[in-house]
This record gives sequence, structure tokens and C-alpha cells, in this order.
Amino acid sequence: MAEKRQRYQNRIELLQGTLDLLILQTLQWGAQHGYGISVAIRNRSGELLQVDTGSLYPALHRLEKQKWIAAEWRISENKQRAKFYRLTAAGKKQLSKERSRWSQLSDAIAGVLQPEE
Amino acid sequence: MQRWPVSFWRRKRREAELDEELRSHLEMAAREREERGDAAKEAERAARREFGNIELVKEATRGAWGWRWLEDLVEDARYGLRMLGKNPGFTIVAILSLALGIGATTAIFSVVYGVLVNPYPYAHSDRMVHLTVHDASGNRRFVNLNGPQLQRLRQASCIESSAAMEGWNLTTTDGDLPEDVQAVYLTSNAFVHFGVPTLLGRGLLPSDAPEGEDPENVAVLGYQFWQRHYGGDPDIVGKNIQLVHKTYKILGVVRPRFTWGDGEVYLPLKLTADPARTYFPMIRLNPGITRAAANAEFQSLVEQFAKETPSHFPEHFHVAIEGLNDHFVEDIGGTLYLLLAAVALLLLIGCGNVSILLLARGTARQHELAVRSAIGAERSRILRQLLTEALLLSFTGAGLGVALANGLVKLIVNWLPEFSFPHEAAISINLPVLFFSVGLALLTGIVFGISPALQSSRPDVAQVMQASTRKMTAGVQGRRTHGILIAGQISLTLLLLAGAGTAMQGFVRMMRVNLGYDPHYAMSVGIPVHDNSYTTWEARRTYFNQLLQKVSAMPEVVSAGISTNATPPNNGWELRFEISGKPAAEQQRARLNFVSPQYFTVLHIPLQQGRIWDEVETVRGAKVAMINQTLAHQFFPNGDAVGSEIRVSELKGEPPFRLAVAGSDGWLQVIGIVSDARNDGLRNPTKPALYVPYTIMMRVWTQILVRTRVPPLTILRDIRAQIRTVDPDQQSFRDTRDLDGWISSQPEWEQGHLVATLFAGFAVLALALAATGLYSVISYTVAQRTGEFGIRMALGARRNDVLLMVFRSAAMSVAGGVLTGVVLTITLNRVLARWIQGSSLDALVLMGVILLLVATSGLSCFIPARRASSVDPVVALRYE
Repeated sequence: MAEKRQRYQNRIELLQGTLDLLILQTLQWGAQHGYGISVAIRNRSGELLQVDTGSLYPALHRLEKQKWIAAEWRISENKQRAKFYRLTAAGKKQLSKERSRWSQLSDAIAGVLQPEE
Repeated sequence: MQRWPVSFWRRKRREAELDEELRSHLEMAAREREERGDAAKEAERAARREFGNIELVKEATRGAWGWRWLEDLVEDARYGLRMLGKNPGFTIVAILSLALGIGATTAIFSVVYGVLVNPYPYAHSDRMVHLTVHDASGNRRFVNLNGPQLQRLRQASCIESSAAMEGWNLTTTDGDLPEDVQAVYLTSNAFVHFGVPTLLGRGLLPSDAPEGEDPENVAVLGYQFWQRHYGGDPDIVGKNIQLVHKTYKILGVVRPRFTWGDGEVYLPLKLTADPARTYFPMIRLNPGITRAAANAEFQSLVEQFAKETPSHFPEHFHVAIEGLNDHFVEDIGGTLYLLLAAVALLLLIGCGNVSILLLARGTARQHELAVRSAIGAERSRILRQLLTEALLLSFTGAGLGVALANGLVKLIVNWLPEFSFPHEAAISINLPVLFFSVGLALLTGIVFGISPALQSSRPDVAQVMQASTRKMTAGVQGRRTHGILIAGQISLTLLLLAGAGTAMQGFVRMMRVNLGYDPHYAMSVGIPVHDNSYTTWEARRTYFNQLLQKVSAMPEVVSAGISTNATPPNNGWELRFEISGKPAAEQQRARLNFVSPQYFTVLHIPLQQGRIWDEVETVRGAKVAMINQTLAHQFFPNGDAVGSEIRVSELKGEPPFRLAVAGSDGWLQVIGIVSDARNDGLRNPTKPALYVPYTIMMRVWTQILVRTRVPPLTILRDIRAQIRTVDPDQQSFRDTRDLDGWISSQPEWEQGHLVATLFAGFAVLALALAATGLYSVISYTVAQRTGEFGIRMALGARRNDVLLMVFRSAAMSVAGGVLTGVVLTITLNRVLARWIQGSSLDALVLMGVILLLVATSGLSCFIPARRASSVDPVVALRYE
């Protein structure tokens, strides 16, 4: 129990729906498997964002079901069979939509947080 | 598994892929750590730790697949079936408890639905009404109108459509024997009015009764008659039927539920202008017309009619139209709802039983559930599993229940008071009833399943895992729930038993009522006179007398008489009368009976005072009368009845229907007083009665009353043969019963019988269910406490101490239940008394019921308690 709590201490809770955006964004640079996605998110966020596997895999399977990403089994760089996900055309459209929504949201929040002059 | 191959294989593959996907994730994570310099074992462990609970991740991911609930459901159901199969005793008791409850409820509901919710097949039957008036003393009477009056009624602005009918008994003359046929004459627009298509051929049309001509000789057959008389001949349309020597062409057959007027044949009716001839109007109101508005319009109309034909209407009246079903609802609605309440109680008790069983088993299964919960099953998942099992039970119970209901419905339909429900009603397990049962199954599954599921789905993992599997006893919480359930069952059972006791007592009291006449070995045979025959007073009197002589001469007949309208226990026409020399009170009414002097001998009604008229006086229609004791006491308190004079002004002839002797509405001399005999049913006190010679006024039918040496119905054929020797076309009413039969077809008798029998049956079932519930709880507690008992006995407790301990644990719940039940029963007594007519709770019945309940409870406790006390301490302790 104690260890678990510690692990979560430095984690930033992802906003609802944000994980989808991060996954789609990560896949923009090419097909990737689940582990790869989680590593990429962690590295690009400067180790701040830890994606919980219990959220990652349901999200991947959900996005696949919505046909925004597609999956296929491939051999990874170190000769291992893994399930790779790639962005579909519909996924690209969805990504740009979510990105503009995100920038709107972050602008709005930044506006609210800006100290008054 | 073979039943879902596609989805099964698809799912299998998906599962395997998910497995591999997660495994590859773990491997990659481990390898990366290894590459960073961790030891292989350490790396793998760290990767695993970081990953979290694999099963939970899988579970969550499967959630994204969709359709999971269905797969879960199938899996849960499969698992549930396995669990139920493992405990056949539990499963059988649970399913039977439910089947009895659901079956009884479904059966009663199908009667309620058939009789009260959807009784009529006619178009817009909710707007069809009977034209009825209430007279000054509140008696309701149907209004009959003559031809011209009907024409004017049709113009009323509140009426959408109207038709008219009359009924008469005809006889077939094309068979070997004349068969009595109930004919209903309908105006030719009636089939359009009812809006029910025929089964075969067509109904009556306006062209069958052209304006200004006699109607065509055509007939439409009733469904029952078509079945009985023609064996359901599908080619019947176009054939002929001969009724009283007149040939009718058969146009069609009506549907089974079209039973208007209980007609066997429907013939076209031509309204005549004869003001004396009246017909029964059938009315459908315009949409949106209130009863009050219709009553107001009809009131002024009927008042005009009453000025034209005052003899057809009571002196003072107000119109109060009735819906087709109003009367039946009043008659039997309360009874049916009462029975529905009774079966609902039964169902509740059954649910209680299953709850108890599930709870007991839930405790036994705590170990299993704790393990499932420890390896990561969510609480909602376990809850769902347990509810699925409950629903599996309730739906199996419902299936069996519907089968039971099917049998019970047939029984109830036979027992329904014959004239207290519409014969159009289709009482069966039909689609709406099935919907009801499915709803019931769902509801009961949730009701009995939810509390055990809530309790068992939250096992205290640590405690359960540490304890051994066997020796746990239910916590205080569990025991309290058991206690409450048992108490609830006991109290509801007491309520049902008290209801049954009350109903049975009321019925027995009615069966033992002092009738004042002797109904055994007696029968009355009704004889309708055909149109245009024996139309003079003299001819008809001679004819009736000849019939009587023929029947009297039969060797099996002890005595015979004529009882035109005097077949007890509900007889005579209630009319106003005056007493000579006394002011006529408005409400001075008596039941007038037209009889021959033998009537009193046949029925063993003793003469109290004066004399009975003789044969000579009968023949000349002497103006004499006899009265019963009630009339004598009520109106002649000084004992001067004999010798006084009484007059009934409504006693007038109206040829050819009523043939009266001259001066029939004049003064009649009272010559004797007879003892009271029931004349207003079995429950009401005897009403004042007048008996006059049947020859004073004869209608178009009569009844011959016989006392026989053998069971009367066995010689009915011979009597009919004797009647035909006088007139070969003369039939007698098909519906002929002996006097015992008329007693048991009184609505109050049938209703009492129905309620008493069903209530008793339901109460016995409830008692059995409650006893099973109690037995299960005690057995289960005893089994759980075997070890404890063993220790106690090893330490010196005697058998009786153990016995007492077991009893004490049950006594509280039983006592609580009995107390609640008594309070409930006394509170609901008013309602019961209103619906179980003529009965009210009596202390003796209540005491008896309590004793019965306590004795049964004691027995249900005793068996498992004895088992506990006979435990061998050594065995019990080794059991650990």
C-alpha cells in the first residue's frame, strides 16, 4: 500500500479525454505499441505524466473501436511480436479537432489564471 | 458453448490477443530495466509492480469492447446454473416457493384482467350503457321501452348509436326432441352497433328487416350453440334451422366472445307500434358525454315515457345509467381485489422464503465470494452475479408458475358466480397476463435477491480467509435479518389464515342457515309457452293443469305443484300492496308468489294459521291470498291477519302476455299464514311474502315444482317426455336444476364458496411456505453451531438445554410475527368484513389461527432442534 501511494505522489491526474489526445498525438510520428506510447508520453512530459496501464489499454481499445486508430501485429525493433497502433484518416481529423479544442481550453484557463494588471 | 460458437471464438481470440499484448508490454518494460543495469529478476518484478493488477487492467479493457454486459450475463447465468445444480434441495424449495406465489398471482390476475380490465369485445364498450332507473326505495330496474319510445330515444343528443333487443325461449322442431333455444331478437342495426365481425358468414343487416315488412326468416348462431348443436360444422352457413315449425336460413356464426344476452340464436327484430310491447334498449353514448349529462337528458325523456305507459315504470324514479360492467364490478370487484391481495401476500411470503434461503446460502458461500473479491472482483460484479442467480430462480419459478396458473384459472372460472361476471370475458393466460408474470418475475427476483446480494457481496476478506470454512456463524447483522424475515412471514401468514378462517366461518354459517323449506329431492322445471298459443285465460289454465296432472301421476313423483315465480331461495315479485282499512304506506312491499295449493306440501312449508285454498278455488282463480309470518308480524301486529283484505294494484292483465282473472287488481282475502321460507337469498332475512293462486294471473311461462323419490335430475328426461305427451312441441328450460342446485348457484353462495376455498388454499400454502422458511433458518443455524453445541455438551449441558437454546432463538421471531400479524388483522378487519360479505373476524377464529400457527412453527423448529440436541459431542468437536 505504502509503495503504491508513493508512486502516485508525483503523478499528475490526466483530465478526462486528455489521454485520447496524447495517444493520438504520439501516434502522429508513426505506429507504436502500448508500451512505446506510455514511454513516449512519459519522456516527452519530462517524466511528469505517468500513464496508468489500467487507463491506457482501455483507451487504446476504445479508440480502435471508434476507428481512429488501427492495430496490427508486428515484430518490434528488438525482435518481439507486439501489437502496433497507427493513426487512421479519421483519427487524424479527430486529432486536429481535439488539439484545437485543447488550445482553446488552455488559452481560456491561462486567461483566467493571468494576474490582473 | 455450441450455442454461441461465433461470439465464443471471437471472444477467445480477443482474450488471447489481449493476453499477449499485455505480456509484451511487461517484457519490454523488463528488458528496458535490464538494459539500464537491473538484475533480470529484479527488473521483471519492478515491471510487474509498475504495471499494476493485470487482471484489473484486462477487466477494464474488456469494458471498452462493448457487449460486455451480455457476455457477463451469459457467463453469470452459466455459473449460476452450476451453483443451483450443486444445491438441488435449495433450488427446488426456492423455485417451488416462487412458482406457487407467481402461479397463484398470475391466475387471479388473469381473472381480474378478464373480468374487470378488458371484459367486452364490443367496439367502444366503455361508452355502452344500460338505461336503468332507481325507484323510491332505491331498487334498480332496467327500463324497457316500446317501439315509438325507442324511436324517440334514438333522437337523444347524447346517443351515438342505439339498438334494441328482446329475448325468448324457442324450441328446435327439426330434431328428435324439442330442444330449448335461447333466442335473442336484435334490431337489424345491432351488429353494426356492436362492431364485432362474425366468425363465419355475416351478421344481421338492415336488409334482413325491410321497412314495413315482416323480417326475413334468417338466423345468426351463437358460438356455443353452433358447437353444441352442430358440432362446429364449418359449412353451416346457408343451411336451415327450424324453430317452432318456422324455417330460418343460417347467415353466420358469431365469435366466441360475442355472447350478448347469452343468445343461442340471433334473429331479426321488427319493432311494432303496439304500446304494450316493450324491448330492451342498447345504447352507446357520444364520446365525452358525462354520466350526469346523459342522466339529465334521459330523465326528462323517461318521465315523458312514464306518462304514456305508467305501468312500465315505477311511480317515482330517477334515471341512473350504468356502464356494462358496473354491476359486475359491484358484485365481484371487491372479491377479486381481495383475492389478488391474498395472492400478493402469498407471493411476498414465497419471496421471503427465497430470501432466507439465499441469505443462509450466502453465508455458506462467504468463503467463495471472499476469494473472488480478494483476486480483484469488483463489488458490483459480485452483486450482479448474485442478482443473476436470483433472477434465474425467479424466471424458472415464473415459468412453472404460469403452468400452475393455467390449471388454477380453469378451476376458478368454474367456481366464479355464474351471474356475477360478464360472459363475454375471456379469462385465460393471455399476452397481457404473460407480460404481468414476466414483470412479476423480474420484480420478485430483485425483491428477494437484493438484500442477500447486498449482504454477501461485501465479505470481510481478512476475517473470512482466516477462519476455517465451516465454523463461521452468521454475524449479528445476518441473524437480525433472518429474524425480521421470519417475523414478516409469520405475520403475513397469520393475516391470510385469519382471512381464510373468517371466510370459511361465514360460508359455513350460510350453509347452515335455516331455510324454512326442504330443498332435498325437489326440483322445478321451467316451461315457456310459445308465441300465439294458449292465448285465453281458460286455455292456458287448462294447459298448465294438464301438465301438472301428467307430472303428478309419475311413479317417482311424491307430489307436484305449480310455482310460476316461486322457486326458492330467491323468489316472488316485489310489489306494493295495500291493506283494507289502513292507510297505504308508500314503502309497504311484499314478494308476490303465484302458486298452486300443493306448493306448501311439496316444499314442507308448514301452515301456521287459517287454511290453504283448495283445488276448486284454484280452478276459478279465487281472490284469496296467504301470507308469511314476517308479513303477519310486520303489518298485523295484533294477530288479525286472517280475514283481512289485501290489494296489489299492479296485478293487472295484459293479453296475450299476462292473462288475469277479472278483478285481479281488487281486494284479496287473507285466508292463512305459513311459516317463513327464505325468499331473498341465503344471507338476507326473509321478506314479507304473499301467495296467491297461480290462476289469478298467468304469464307466458310456468314452472312445475316436484318432490321425488329419487334424485330429481335423474327423472328430468321422463318429465320432459310427459310434458310432450300434452304438447309435442313443448320443451322445458335447458338450464334446469334441483333446489339444492339453485341454492348453490346463489351469487352469495358461489362467492362465499370461491372466497372460502381459494382463501383456504392460499392460507395453507402460506403456512407451508412459512414453515419451510422457519425450518430452513433453524436447520441452518443449527448446522453452523454444531461445534458450539458440542463444546457446551462436553462441558455438561443437557439435551434439553440445547433444545431450549434453539427454540429460544426462534421464539422471539415467531412471537414478534404473531403479534404483528394480530395487529395487522385487527386493523384490516374492516376491509375484510366489507369484502368477505357477511363475515367479520371473531375471537375464536383468531385464537384458532394463532394456535395453528404456533403449533406449526413449533414443529418446524422441533425437528432441527432435536437434531442439534442429539449431537454427539465427540463427533461435533472432531468436525472442526
